[in-house]
Amino acid sequence: MSATPEAAPAARARRRARPRVNLTRWAKGGGLHAVLFAVPVVVVYLYFSWGPVVQGLVFSFQKTNLIRPAEWVGWSNFEYVLGDPGLVQASLNTAYFALLALVFGFPIPIILAVLVTELRKYDTLYNALAYLPAVIPPVAAILLWKFFYDPDSTGLFNSVLGWFGLGPYPWLNDSSSAMPSIVLYATWAGAGSTAIIYIAALATVRTELYEAAEIDGAGIWRRIWHITLPQLRGVIFVMMLLQLIGTFQIFSEPFLFTGGGPNNATQTILLKIYNYAFVNGDFGAATALSVLLALALGLLSAVYYFVTRKWSAA
Amino acid sequence: MPKLSRRQVLVAGSVGAAAMATAGCSDPGGDAATEALDPSAKVSISVGDQPTEDKPDQLAAFNKRIEEFKAANQNIAVEASPEKWEAQTFQAKLAGGTLPTVMGVSLTYSHELIENGQLPDMTPYLDELGLVADLNPLALDNAKDDGGKIYTIPTGLFSVGIAYNRAIFAKAGLDPDTPPATWEDVRAFARQIKAKVGGVTPYAQMTTNNTGGWMLTTMTYSLGGRVQNDAGTEAVMGQQTIDALQLLHDMRWGDDTMGREFLYDQEAVRQAFAGGTIGMVLQAPDCYFTVVKDYGFDPADYGQGALPQGGAGGNGTLTGGTLKLFDAKATPNQLLAAAKWIKFYDFDKYYDQAAALADAESNAANNSPVGLPGLPPVSQAVYDRYLGWIKPHINVPLEQFTGYTAATLPLIAEPPAGTQQTYAALDPVVQQILTDEGADIVRAVADANATVKGIIDQAAR
Repeated sequence: MSATPEAAPAARARRRARPRVNLTRWAKGGGLHAVLFAVPVVVVYLYFSWGPVVQGLVFSFQKTNLIRPAEWVGWSNFEYVLGDPGLVQASLNTAYFALLALVFGFPIPIILAVLVTELRKYDTLYNALAYLPAVIPPVAAILLWKFFYDPDSTGLFNSVLGWFGLGPYPWLNDSSSAMPSIVLYATWAGAGSTAIIYIAALATVRTELYEAAEIDGAGIWRRIWHITLPQLRGVIFVMMLLQLIGTFQIFSEPFLFTGGGPNNATQTILLKIYNYAFVNGDFGAATALSVLLALALGLLSAVYYFVTRKWSAA
Repeated sequence: MPKLSRRQVLVAGSVGAAAMATAGCSDPGGDAATEALDPSAKVSISVGDQPTEDKPDQLAAFNKRIEEFKAANQNIAVEASPEKWEAQTFQAKLAGGTLPTVMGVSLTYSHELIENGQLPDMTPYLDELGLVADLNPLALDNAKDDGGKIYTIPTGLFSVGIAYNRAIFAKAGLDPDTPPATWEDVRAFARQIKAKVGGVTPYAQMTTNNTGGWMLTTMTYSLGGRVQNDAGTEAVMGQQTIDALQLLHDMRWGDDTMGREFLYDQEAVRQAFAGGTIGMVLQAPDCYFTVVKDYGFDPADYGQGALPQGGAGGNGTLTGGTLKLFDAKATPNQLLAAAKWIKFYDFDKYYDQAAALADAESNAANNSPVGLPGLPPVSQAVYDRYLGWIKPHINVPLEQFTGYTAATLPLIAEPPAGTQQTYAALDPVVQQILTDEGADIVRAVADANATVKGIIDQAAR
């Protein structure tokens, strides 16, 4: 809310009239205690939350291996990562993953949540079943899925598809199918925990709305379209933003499934950052690309916020 | 209570942030030790490469050696650590200062670590222990700088050859005592295995976690080429690299003798080999240890040949090994104690018959391979004497390694600049050839040269 033209000079006058801070009075009044109480929290927060951020920013302008003294190298790290021939493909791969995850992975938890909520019986059981993949540690789950994706005809998925005369498919061993295979896994792994959030949100939708719609003769699809989805809109927008940011930071799946292969088909920006830092030991390049990614994600979040704010208000 | 103004909070926050940033930017190597060397001073060190709990025999043997060392060196407290080198995490742990005082690391890093000041000058300590004179001069070249200072101790040296499954060879009608000597042999043998033995991959290639580039470099060497020039200033992949990739392409897409899995790294390919599903794969002889000891492969089925050669032959093979990484921030007394440990654990057996026999007996008792062929870290004369001492305990079927041990291929060092980065950059090239039938090999090699040149320039900044 903006101030009216008349209110602004009054506010300025009040600010001018504010008495100067008397330190003794302030300390006696408990101000010092408040600061002493706050200092540990602020220091811990600054050191552990903002310390690495600031240090990352500093590293992006340095050449350092953390043993020898760091050298300032200006924009050289940024020039190197922006000139890396693999950056374009890594960016496209990341965007491709985000798109696939959005188109296929995003609606599934919503559908799952609506279906579970619509169930009159055994909803707890289905709830638990939907959430089960989230209980399995990602590394163990990915190793399991690597067996499922075995490219031989004896692999689990290929065996099942073989019963219907399909395959064998190369799955992770082909540039065109590697990323969709990873998205399939990521959807399986992530749908349950996201669905739980939607289910919780659905519980807040007033049942009178459904009862009124039913009395008016609305079928299940009309109830979902006209009541459920509009009521979930706020949660859906937040979840979409979180998913977008999450998908742009995808790392463990390509790292463990394919190492970025085949032929860089699953090389993502975060995997590139990891390789710069932990394989090449080039912390300057890694932090430079991290800063660029953070800027891009900040921009994306801002655009998303302003666009969806309009939608939300509509 | 009067509220603090926004300005005051901002000022306080900025001062705090500036203090944090300054603290964060301080030189982490600033606590370099300056104490004088005193061999009898009380000192604590940590030593890496302790076998993990899932290898109880090896763990017990390692711990026993620690106790023996402590008994012989009362002033040195030793803490064992299961930390071992892994390409994916090594740099982070090195930078974070979480590695033990001494541990084994791939020899690949030698030049890079020396140039980056990440290794301490070990010359005085090695001199003090009299360890320099009998080291293998070929390996020692990898441990020195231009001024002749020694920064590390090379151990566990190897040259790449080809491992093959003798049982699969026999089933395919091939002679298990005759490994492929040329790439034409490899291709012909693979075809024969495909025709006669079902359900196996006749020839497998590693492609991930830098192993794809490692093996492409090896193949390039075997055809007479190089990946970088000797000075490590240029990427020089040419016709030999193209030929190597063309061979893989033809075996994959023409002969269909490379199976369906093209995302192997070293561990995965060894597991598959131990499972009896791979006919041939490029490996150094230490593969025997892993597949037999860790994965239960039948020793009678293991065969090891020298690296197949192209062209007129005799081009050479890639060498590598392990270097002992000493903590650059350790005190002189810690460095001396760590060097003593390495001498005790890795070298005493070459100079002391009783130690050699005790080591061999202990390994034989827990079914670890004894007498595994490889390049000695010490001079050939010292090594031959050692082999004579332990002869009664050798349990490795050396006759199955004849193709490897009888070879006299030139030994070629790894690419000198940004070695692991170079390998990492070449992984996708090999993957592309194996997963895309229409891949343009000449262009892939040209692009790879450009990428490797970028890595060289970035490393040289």
